[in-house]
Formats: sequence, C-alpha cells, structure tokens
Amino acid sequence: MATVVAAGSSTDIWAVANHPVLWIFALGVFAVIFVQSFIYIKAARKAGPDVGVQREDLTRAFRSGAVASIGPSLAVVIVAIALLALFGTPAVLVRIGLIGSAATETASAQIAATTMGTTLGGEGYNQQVFAVAFAAMSISGGAWMLATVILTPLLKRGGAKLSVVNPLMMALIPGAALLGAFSVLTISEVPKSWIHAVTVVVSALVMAGLLVVARRYHVHWLKEWALGISILAALAVAFVAHSSTLAAA
Amino acid sequence: MSIATTSRADASMAGFEATTSRWGRITMLVALLLSLCGPAYLVFFGNLDVTVQQILTAYAAVAGTFLIFALVEPVTYFPILGQAAMYQAFMIGNISNKLLPAAIVAQDRIGVRPGTRKGDLAAVMAICGAAMVHLTSLLIFVGILGTWLLSLIPAEITIVARSYILPAILGAVLVQAIATVKQVRTTVVALAVGGLLVLVCVWVKPLAPYATALGVLFTIVIAWFARNRNQVLPARPAADSEPDQPVKNADTAGIA
Repeated sequence: MATVVAAGSSTDIWAVANHPVLWIFALGVFAVIFVQSFIYIKAARKAGPDVGVQREDLTRAFRSGAVASIGPSLAVVIVAIALLALFGTPAVLVRIGLIGSAATETASAQIAATTMGTTLGGEGYNQQVFAVAFAAMSISGGAWMLATVILTPLLKRGGAKLSVVNPLMMALIPGAALLGAFSVLTISEVPKSWIHAVTVVVSALVMAGLLVVARRYHVHWLKEWALGISILAALAVAFVAHSSTLAAA
Repeated sequence: MSIATTSRADASMAGFEATTSRWGRITMLVALLLSLCGPAYLVFFGNLDVTVQQILTAYAAVAGTFLIFALVEPVTYFPILGQAAMYQAFMIGNISNKLLPAAIVAQDRIGVRPGTRKGDLAAVMAICGAAMVHLTSLLIFVGILGTWLLSLIPAEITIVARSYILPAILGAVLVQAIATVKQVRTTVVALAVGGLLVLVCVWVKPLAPYATALGVLFTIVIAWFARNRNQVLPARPAADSEPDQPVKNADTAGIA
C-alpha cells in the first residue's frame, strides 16, 4: 500500500541506524584507538629501561591488563547485543562499547526521547527520534572528551590540587550526582506499567543479591558479570509477565 | 640511584610524557570528530526532517544531567590514571569497571605502586592490553556476529527486550551506584528526591525532560547540607560508626 508518510516517522530504526556511512565512522573510532595504543606501547618501551621497568615487565603488564579485561569486555558485549535493536550496530559499538557506557548512553537517549514526547523503544520511537537521541548522546559524550583534553594539561600543571582544595566536596559531589541521576531515571520507570515496575524491582534485587554474594565470598568476576546477569534475569521476568497478560487478554 | 641515572630517567620519562600527551590529545580529538560525524550525517543527509532546535532541546536536557560528570570525572580519575592514560581511558570508556581494575592488577603483578613513574608505565601498558581485548571482542561479537546472534532470538523476545530493556538496566545500575558510592545519607536523599520528582512530574508533565537534571541538582545541594559534619574533623571519635564515609576509592563516578 502506497501511503505518504512524514520523513523520519518510520519505526524501522535499523534502516537508518545500520547505514554504511555510520559503519565507516564507527570503524574509524576503532582504528584511532588501535593507532593510539601502538604509539603508547612504543613510547613506554623506549622510556621503560631508563625508568627501571624492563621490557619483560612491560609485556607482563600488557598481558595482565588484557586478561583482567576479558570478563568485563564480554559483559559489555552482552549488554551491547541487547541494545542493538534500539540503536543499531554502529551506534552501539561507539557509544556503548567504547566512549560511553550502557548506563550513561541509554539514560541520555531516554532523556533525549522524552524531549520529543516519546520513550526509548516506545510507541513513537521512530527514525527521527533515533537520530535526535544519537546526536544528543554523541554531543554529550564529546563533552567528556573535550573536558579531558582541556583539563588534563591543567591538572598536570597544578598537580592534583583541585581535589586537595576541598577533598570533602570532591568526595561528595560525584557520588551525589550519580545517585541523584539514577534515582530519578529508575523511579520514573515504575509508574509506566506494572510490568515496568516488576522489571525494575527484579533487576535491582538480582544485582543486590549478586553484589552481596560477590562481597561475602570474594568472587571478583561476579561483580563484572553482575550487570549482564541482572539485565537478563529482569528481561526473563518481563517476558513471562508480558506473555501472561497476552494469554489473559 | 646515581645522579646520572636519575637525570637519564627524568629525560626518558619527559620524552614519554611529551609523546603520549601530544599523540593522546591528537587521537582523542580525531575520535571526537569521528564520533560526531555519524549523527551529523543522519541529521544533515538522512532526510529525516530533524531540526537543529530538536537537537539543542534534547542535548540541553541531557547536559543538565550529565555535563557535571564530564567535568568532574577527569578531575576524579587524573590522580589515579596519570596524564598519559587519561587520553586512553576517556576514549575507551568503561573506566571503573574495566580499565582501573586492569591497571591495578598489572601494577600488582610487576610490583610497582600507582602514582609512581613505573606505576604509570604499567598502567599505560595494562590499558593497551585491555583495549586490544575490548576492541577485538566488540568487533567480533557485536560488530560481525551481533545481528546474527540477535536474529537467533525469537521475535516475541526481541519485542519484550526492546520494551523493557531500560527498566532492566536501570534497576541494577541504581543498586550498583548505591553500592559503589557507599554514602548512606546521600542515598536516602537521592531516593527521596527521585520519588518526589517523579510524583510531581505525573502532575506537571512539561517538567519531565528536566526531572533528571533537577534530581542531580537537588541531591547535591541537600546531601551537602545534610552531610555528617563530624567528618570534617580529621580524627573522628571512635563511637561515630556512621557508615557514610567519604569515598576513598576511584569508583565514585564510574559511569564513563
């Protein structure tokens, strides 16, 4: 049927989100990180022996870092795959996989979608909303990088004096900002439907349980996997709840 | 260490700092541009009728919530990461849950202390190792196999996943944030502020996009005035068993 639709109102997100041009820019970010690592390794190898770190110790440090990050990387992979339907592969690779994190980026996208009168993955989540959310996420992530480029040389010059000026403030503000942001975002999910409410609660309880187990029995890998496991458990319960309402209807 | 070797170490370390800060800055700015090119292409050439006004409104709401993190996190992590690793960490992301543990494990493995020259070199190498594993696993499992892995999942499950992914992530992240920040008073304040704001937004709908930003602001201000003032004193009385210690680790703002 040939109906005339407004540009960007299609809900086929992947049609725009997996565009080849977006792939090229995403792979470009990967290439930049590879190049940076190569330059850094060369620089460390050149300086190492004079500073008192032998080449084999540098290799050992590289290997330790690689092994330590296997668990966290796979955990990120699981969350990233779960978000592919919402953002498509290139945006997930750059925003969730690299620069940002699942929590910050989905929260940013949700806030952006709200300004357009819809929700992430909800009824009105169309190509236009995706583009606006993707743009807002990217600009927001860019602020981190810009702040890093500007602040790092200043911090180097001034030592770490900023945190010495008022250590209490520096200890309190980041934590309060983090908790304030995620309290509002999380509690906002509760009134949406009873399934949303149940999903939030299951996700929170599973995470709390896993953290208690990880802490009590010193299972460090569990902390890395906790987010992935909590998301899967919460989605499983949401699926059962969703199916039961369909069966009852 | 003799004076000759000390000055040689100084010179070598200065060379390392110069190379890494120059190339760190260049690579980071290039990555920043590339990361903006994707959405810019969609907005200007995607024929999606997106207006600049829409983007500015959306970004203002996002910035209201997250701009403070962009400014605070580099300051928070600098003392732990050192100059060189800063340019790696804020490009690779997942700092508190992946890069910092990797750096600490590596420093422990070769017996050097964080914050020293040797420690900085070990951290840089560890982050390079972590980056290689991370980039490779992302490219293979998400980039190449991701949509195929997702297609193995039946449609009705994908629909549920798409509808409920946000509550499924947020519940767990809130708990993780509470556990990491370890400030009981701030947590109580944040939850109370969050609950009230959500209630108000049910009545005052136009407020919704700014709710998160207001939550951040109110929580910081109220938590500051409600803080345990005894902690200002360097020597706390032993009887003060209030568990909301100021954070001593770097996990405070681990959302990057």
